[in-house]
Order: sequence, then structure tokens, then C-alpha cells
Amino acid sequence: MKSVAVTGLGVVSPFGTGVKAFWEGISSGSCAIRPITLIDTEGFRCRIAAEVPAGIAGSGRRSRADRMALAAAREALDDAGIARAERADAALIVGAVGGGMLETEAWYWQRTRAGAAPMPRALTSCFPSSHADVVGSALGLGGPRETIVTACSSGAGSLALAADLVADGVVPLAIAGGVDALTRICFMGFNALKLLDPVPCRPFDRERRGMSLGEGAAFVVLEDPQRAKSRRARIYGELAGYGMTGDAFHVTAPHPEGEGMARAMRAALEQGGVAPAAVGYVNAHGTATLQNDRIEARAMRAVFGEGRVLVSSTKSMIGHTMAAAGALEAVATVLTLLNELVPPTARLENLDPEIGFDCVPHAAREVAFEHAISNSFGFGGQNVTLLFRRAA
Amino acid sequence: MEAKEVFDELKTILVTRLKFDPRQAVDLTLETTMPKGVDGSIGLDSLDFIELAIAIEERFGIVMDEAGDLAPHFASFDTLSRYIASRTAGA
Repeated sequence: MKSVAVTGLGVVSPFGTGVKAFWEGISSGSCAIRPITLIDTEGFRCRIAAEVPAGIAGSGRRSRADRMALAAAREALDDAGIARAERADAALIVGAVGGGMLETEAWYWQRTRAGAAPMPRALTSCFPSSHADVVGSALGLGGPRETIVTACSSGAGSLALAADLVADGVVPLAIAGGVDALTRICFMGFNALKLLDPVPCRPFDRERRGMSLGEGAAFVVLEDPQRAKSRRARIYGELAGYGMTGDAFHVTAPHPEGEGMARAMRAALEQGGVAPAAVGYVNAHGTATLQNDRIEARAMRAVFGEGRVLVSSTKSMIGHTMAAAGALEAVATVLTLLNELVPPTARLENLDPEIGFDCVPHAAREVAFEHAISNSFGFGGQNVTLLFRRAA
Repeated sequence: MEAKEVFDELKTILVTRLKFDPRQAVDLTLETTMPKGVDGSIGLDSLDFIELAIAIEERFGIVMDEAGDLAPHFASFDTLSRYIASRTAGA
């Protein structure tokens, strides 16, 4: 794959709306994981998550996830300076899982428990494909439109597909990202799986007890580098390659040796023509489950060698934002390279000796790199690694 | 905002969000009715009304509570313009 330029960023995160709030939050090691307000958590073992604060733009008739997607996509297009006329050929790729499930659940509960006959409007936006419909129609995006659903790697997969469309010359530019709102089914399901830590998650810590959920949306504008240069666009960095693999191992557990994860990382490096030694930082999947962190570390060791790269987990600050995670963390990785500042892993007190990498505890670190990768691994072993190069 | 200005905005919404032919929008009057099946109406169906309600909330910054019966307000451009004008006047 030819490299593609990243020329626009947009974010709605648990730190609020906007890329600025997101970067300030994660680069200062702040924690946005708090008691849940959106849904009733009475009786559950874990009762916290990283919610997006009030004030998301858009009509309340839209689903929460649609509003987050719309706000983030709008910011990215405005940031890139893509005028209405240029959007006619632009591709839109969205990573999604929950769709409008939060509102659908509320509708169903009202109908079955309260005996009321609520307005069925909520159901029009229940599918994951709703986000692409809403964003595409509202922002006038007329090119190819796809929704990627690969659990927790959906957001990263969307960037990979969009990069192909641009690199292959199918479209001059694409907007790609991911979105997920907190939902009851996700919260209760992960509680039932005993994968949620009752206190804010602690990736890579030997005391870690599971993940924290989060929500949000992020979009990036990907563009042919020549096109970006000729219109004098601001280039944040380049998406230089990606790797996508499947474990074909288990419905939830990753392969114990991280074989599929390692293949995804190697494939990304190979596609970008980048040697492992040229990569300085890994924005890890880093969910803080016992299994993921240990196995991801094993896979990183196989690819980069013992302790050879800096590693941190954005999820320590914004939780696991599901289908948005790969996109939010892609933005974090691009900004890490650009600002020469590695966001930390918050609350990392005692590094699990099995990890074996410097996981940048507590405070951000000033370091400049040419390349960094972002890992996203979905349930069922759906692995995506994105490789980014610093802007020339 | 005056009811007349609201009416003009509604015509714009009809073209940009509900994809009505601009020529059709020109012919609209305050008396034109909205719901499909009503005499002389522009024929909005239930999905059109959802899109229209979203557009109104985002354009005028008001929240229309579904707990109340909104149907009388969405009868014609006259009723809807007056309703929105009264809601924005209080803002």
C-alpha cells in the first residue's frame, strides 16, 4: 500500500468534544473513568465507565452514538478544510458495533416493563449502519460507504479499508473512524464475563483486574499525499501500512501465544516497508484484562524484541471505547508522533513482570520517533495494527 | 423569530434535508398541509416527520417533547411556523 496522508482529525471523547480536549486529557494522564450516569448500575460488581460529558451537539432525536459520530466527523472535515463540493467523491468508512442500542434498549424496557407504548422512532437508528447513513447524509459525503463490524478493532479496520481506497486511487479522499456509545448490553455482558474492574482499569499492572468501558467517536481524513500537498493541506502524519489477521482460535480469548497479534504487527511493518527497529512506540490495545496485556506483550516481544519499544495504553484514561477505540487511539498515535510526546499509562504502579516493556507510567514522556503503531484486537481474534509515520 | 422567517427556514429544510424539488418549495403557502393523505398536502410520511423534527431541533435549538401530542403543530406550515416562533420567542 502507498502511504496516505492524514489531513484532518475529529474526536468526541470522555474528555469532551474536540481533538484539543482529548489530547490535553491523555497527554496529562487524566482519568475520565467515573460512576456511570447513563444507565442503572444497581447491583452490578462494576459501576464505573468513561462517559462522554453532557453537551454533545445535535438533536436529541438522534441516537447518542449518531450525535457523537456526526460531531467528530464534522470536526475532522472542517479541520482538513474539505469543502462541500469536494465531499461528493469522498468515501465514508465507519467502525461500529452498538449502533443506536442505548435508545433501543430504553424503548424496549419502557415497552415491556412500564407497559407504555413509546414512540418507535428510536428503532430507526438501532443498526450499526445508521452512523454512516447519518454522517454521510448530513455532511454530503457521496462516495463509497461501508460499516466495519469487527468488535473492538472496528475503528482501526475502518482506517485500513479507507487507506486502501485512497492508496488504490478509488477515491481522492476518505473519512474513516469509529463510534460507540455505552449500552446496557455491553455493560451487563462484560460484567457477566467478569472482565470489568470495579475500580478504574490498570493496564499492565500486576494488580489489574479487568477493563473499564468507555464511549466516544473519532474520525480522520485520509488523502492522497500529492493531493494534500498540492492544496497545501496540513499533514499530521501518514498512515503507512496496516496488518489485519484472524486468530481462528476462540470466541472471546486471544490465541495464548499472541500469534495472530504478532502477524498483524509484522504485516503492518512489511506493508509500510519499515523495520521493527524503526518503530519507537506502540499504542497498545492494552485493555487491562489479565489475558490481553500478557499476550499482547508476548506478541510485541516476538516482533520488536524484549523491551525495545515504548508502550502505553490510552484505555487507562478513557476506558475501552469499543468500536471507537481503534480510531481514538489512531488519533492518539498520530498526535504522539507529531507532538513528540508519548501519553502515559495512568495508574500504573507495579508493572507486571510478565510485560517486560517500559509502559510510560503516570506522566507523558518527550520522545521523537519516525514510526509508531496502534494495536486493536477484537473479540474472536480480529486483529488490526495500523502503522503511522511522522509528517515529513 | 417571526413566523414568516420560520416559514422561509422550513422551506429551506424541505429542500436541503427532505430533498424536495426547489420549484415545489416555491409554490408552498402557509395554508399548505403536511401529512400524507390530507387534502392538498405535501405528503410527508412518518420517516419524513422524524427527519423534519431533527432538522427543526438542530436549526432552531428547541426540544420538542414527544410526551405531548405534536400532531396538531405538524398539520400545516402555518401551525408549525407559529409553534416554532412561539418556542423560540421564549428562548
